[in-house]
Amino acid sequence: MSNQKKRNFQIEAFKHKVVVDPKYAEKTWKILEHAIHEIYNLNASGLSFEELYRNAYNMVLHKFGEKLYSGLVTTMTSHLIEISKSIEAAQGGLFLEELNRKWNDHNKAMQMIRDILMYMDRTYIPSTQKTPVHELGLNLWRDNIVHSPNIQTRLLTTLLDLIQRERSGEVINRGLMRNIIKLLMDLGPSVYQEDFEKHFLEVSAEFYKGESQKFINCCDCGDYLKEAERRLNEEFERVTHYLDTRSEVKITSVVEKEMIANHMPRLVHMENSGLVNMLLDDKYEDLKRMYNLFRRVSNGLLTIREVMTSHIRETGKQLVTDPEKSKDPVEFVQRLLDEKDKYDGIISSSFANDKTFQNALNSSFEYFLNLNPRSPEFISLFVDDKLRKGLKGVSEEDVEIILDKVMTLFRYLQEKDVFEKYYKQHLAKRLLSGKTVSDDAERSLIVKLKTECGYQFTCKLEGMFTDMKTSQDTMQGFYASHPELGGGPTLTVQVLTTGSWPTQPSVTCNLPAEMLALCEKFRSYYLGTHTGRRLSWQCNMGTADIKASFGKGQKHELNVSTYQMCVLMLFNKADRLSYKEIEQATEIPAPDLKRCLQSLACVKGKNVLRKEPMSKEIVEDDAFFVNDKFASKFYKVKIGTVVAQKESEPEKQETRQRVEEDRKPQIEAAIVRIMKSRKTLDHNNIIAEVTKQLQSRFLANPTEIKKRIESLIERDFLERDNTDRKLYRYLA
Amino acid sequence: MGIQRDRVKFNVGGRIFETTSTTLANAGRNSMFGAMFDGDWNFQSETENSGGTGTEYFIDRNPDCFSVLLDLLRTQELHLPPNIPEKLLYREASFYGLLDHVRSAKWGQFNGNRLRLSRSVAGQAPGDGTAIRAGPDGGCCVAHGSMVHVYDWMLEEHPPISLDFQRVNDVGWVDSENVVISVCERLGRGNGGMGLFSSSSGELRHRFQVNHDNQIKSFTAGALSFSQDYKIFSSCRGRSNEYGIGVWDQVSGKQVDFFYEPPGWSLGDADKLQWLNGNNCLLVATLFPRKDNCYISLVDFRERKMVWNWSDISAAITVDEKRVRDAIAMEESNSVCVVNEFEDLGFIDLRVNGGSVRWSSRSRLMKGKMPDEPCYPKLALHEGQLFSSMNDCISVFCAPDWVLTSRLRRSYGGSICDFSIGGDRLFALHSEENVFDIWETPPPPII
Repeated sequence: MSNQKKRNFQIEAFKHKVVVDPKYAEKTWKILEHAIHEIYNLNASGLSFEELYRNAYNMVLHKFGEKLYSGLVTTMTSHLIEISKSIEAAQGGLFLEELNRKWNDHNKAMQMIRDILMYMDRTYIPSTQKTPVHELGLNLWRDNIVHSPNIQTRLLTTLLDLIQRERSGEVINRGLMRNIIKLLMDLGPSVYQEDFEKHFLEVSAEFYKGESQKFINCCDCGDYLKEAERRLNEEFERVTHYLDTRSEVKITSVVEKEMIANHMPRLVHMENSGLVNMLLDDKYEDLKRMYNLFRRVSNGLLTIREVMTSHIRETGKQLVTDPEKSKDPVEFVQRLLDEKDKYDGIISSSFANDKTFQNALNSSFEYFLNLNPRSPEFISLFVDDKLRKGLKGVSEEDVEIILDKVMTLFRYLQEKDVFEKYYKQHLAKRLLSGKTVSDDAERSLIVKLKTECGYQFTCKLEGMFTDMKTSQDTMQGFYASHPELGGGPTLTVQVLTTGSWPTQPSVTCNLPAEMLALCEKFRSYYLGTHTGRRLSWQCNMGTADIKASFGKGQKHELNVSTYQMCVLMLFNKADRLSYKEIEQATEIPAPDLKRCLQSLACVKGKNVLRKEPMSKEIVEDDAFFVNDKFASKFYKVKIGTVVAQKESEPEKQETRQRVEEDRKPQIEAAIVRIMKSRKTLDHNNIIAEVTKQLQSRFLANPTEIKKRIESLIERDFLERDNTDRKLYRYLA
Repeated sequence: MGIQRDRVKFNVGGRIFETTSTTLANAGRNSMFGAMFDGDWNFQSETENSGGTGTEYFIDRNPDCFSVLLDLLRTQELHLPPNIPEKLLYREASFYGLLDHVRSAKWGQFNGNRLRLSRSVAGQAPGDGTAIRAGPDGGCCVAHGSMVHVYDWMLEEHPPISLDFQRVNDVGWVDSENVVISVCERLGRGNGGMGLFSSSSGELRHRFQVNHDNQIKSFTAGALSFSQDYKIFSSCRGRSNEYGIGVWDQVSGKQVDFFYEPPGWSLGDADKLQWLNGNNCLLVATLFPRKDNCYISLVDFRERKMVWNWSDISAAITVDEKRVRDAIAMEESNSVCVVNEFEDLGFIDLRVNGGSVRWSSRSRLMKGKMPDEPCYPKLALHEGQLFSSMNDCISVFCAPDWVLTSRLRRSYGGSICDFSIGGDRLFALHSEENVFDIWETPPPPII
């Protein structure tokens, strides 16, 4: 008994852990699974959030996380398979709408499922490194819907078809498109790229290849570019409306390639409407469009630039080498300026002031301007013309503008020293004849030249101005010290420093006695105030105002040159003089005298002398009389000298020669400067360096440089290396 | 009536609470309340349907804790009555998804001059502690011998970590979920080295390898450092004189670089690595007594060279023999701060090579004798405050003149052998008794 009793009281060993209801997990999961079904069936209003949340919590807490998670995967997958069937069943246009609707439902369901499984999402999933609920939902959607074989291709073709329809002008439901594209993007960038973008770009390339072929065969260049621009904007707009912004670069580059890059040469050279025609016809809009479109593709701008450059060079070359057009230097330069203005305008308004285009323009001008060796002379003549008369009544700003433009042409000149020579001559004439319109304009141009080429370039020009100024003072001093001269003829002397002024052969002539006396007085006055100087008269540059009365008593004041004065004064003592007599009396050089007589006797309205026989040319046997019938409306009559405005052929040769002569010491100086710092240098490098140093003034000729080197070797400035004959040494 | 509509009534474990939806909104979307409030769950409409008197929302949880947490949502402050164990509160907060709220309310923003001892935790590990490292979210890990014990911010201990049971040299947090430990090579077996572990489960996730001439070699990993561009640096000693600094990518786990130490210099058995973000350089310090001399250098991995270095090889040994025991770079003042065994601070200019140590005049002579088991000073830097441990206390110095402003002392546990600052907490590991202390800044005052 007792034993039995004892046995009864024996406590059983505690063999099992306390186990919750074995069906607990299953039951709880059933509740949650039901809830997920209800959520997908849009029937969630009857669910108690608190209960579901607590159940999910408990499952994780009781180590049923794995069951919960795998259950979720299975349930969600089965729903997605249902969904994919209903999407597949959607007819035609309803397909995308159904897809969109189901996607929205799925998103909402995912959110709600995540809400009730929040505890699992936060604790169980990170510690087991599983996919979080939201991401899991996206992955399952991707695998079961977007990558389902019946949907994948249909989705792609539907999307591409819609885009194709929009491209051909139909209106499509952009909102729906945006939602579907957003769906693909939400599934991750790779889904969007692989399942849509890649194909989209391929189809687009195909489309634009066809488009461009179609248009290029029936449109002119301008219209084609308009079309390309429109298409580009259209694609840009498409991206902003419903594609991923990162697609913009890709799709525009497709359009750029198919519409522009592949057809560039054809577009640029298109007959009657290509780039050259646009330039000729000033089609700013078209040019701008071409620039903006071509800029997008590699080598696009290069193509435009090359065509533009060769066009400018070609037209420029025609301009400067056409002998007809270089007859009138002013017209010639004006044409160049107009051409420059035109292209400046095009570059600023159509080519966005692109530096590379400006450089191309500059190099083109430099190229053709220097094709004509007379360009420096012409530019100087143009300035001369402007400063003589062209600037009358023009405001200061406009003067500046014209001078600045001339300076741009000047910059293109390679032979700046030739320009300097001519400019000096022309300036001298302007100054001595007092014909310069505006001192300010003259000085402003000198300043410009100075900033461009340095002090050395303009010091002589400035010296000329100083001479003019000091001469004025000298004359005042002269008359102040000789008050007795008030009644007689007035003498104005300009004392010119030799070297500053263009060298002229010092030609004297026999001045009339009255003048000669006056000149002597001035000479003694001047040499009295300045010791150690020499004065020699340059009659060929002077002018005179003389009073004359003619047969019927008409009185005139004649403005003539010094030579002309000498001639006319002879007629105070004689009525008739032969050419020979005049030549003897005045000793004016024959060509000058002929020109002087021509202007006195042969110019209509200014013929104060009469010539026998009447003819245009002056011959040695001619005789001259005072023209008693001379009449003029004006009291003052200006008698010009018949001068060839342009240089005559021999004069030109002479100027050239002088320029060449002047270059020699400059080249030598440059060689010595370079060798002094380098000590030894080989031939090619010397040539290169010298050319570079002298670039701002002229383009040195290599053979000339070589000659200068030889000359320097002769004079022991340099020597050749004993072993390497191409090497020079500097001898200090 | 507008007020009425905002009101929410809960029945939590039988007790009725009333609050407002505005208060509950403070919980954020990523909490149970956030989910309840979402339009999908028809929370609002049900309240309205009930005509303002309000349906109760039943929650089957502990009402006492709910009241604490509701107060937390109302005031952003945490006040725990003595009758509620902390762990219970954490459990409830975890249910509602409010753990982060609790953590951020529990202690304030770190300030070395306002620290209070929050807790001391005793462990069971045998032997001396090697290192303690604060995690980014307030947890820590402690290395003893071949084991690393991981504690989360609630000071709950997680499964301990070990790599082939080899002696641990250093520990570091990659992020709050991942810990890297560096251990000695297992002689003859080719194991040891470095491993990445899950801080919560303790499982090994990745083992780092070193390649020399395309051959995987076993190695002993020493000091660790991490850069913001996701790199891991470790001093490495290979079997056949392959000494230097190894560099790995945090994302792929692959070795991306190896900087061999130059002859006559020491990098491979460094005591300390410190990544300098502004200079894009790594500070490597090998110190006495590991070596007979001290070597401190900055390595630039882009230029593959040492761009700055300092050593006491040539310095004359003085009578009081001040030897550098720890070093830390201070990028703002372009200098390296060093400390000797008497807790004198010294500074070396980073802008010139070959400069000397400028010892601070605030030198204190050791009062009394050294403790039986001396612990050498260690340095740490946190937002313009410099921390230095010596025996059983930690001194706080403030920039720019490094004036001593506070001293943290606790007599229990013996000398401090290592300490670490992170997650707005300071952890100090004692050499005896196997205890570490947690120092926190209290939440800001009410006004």
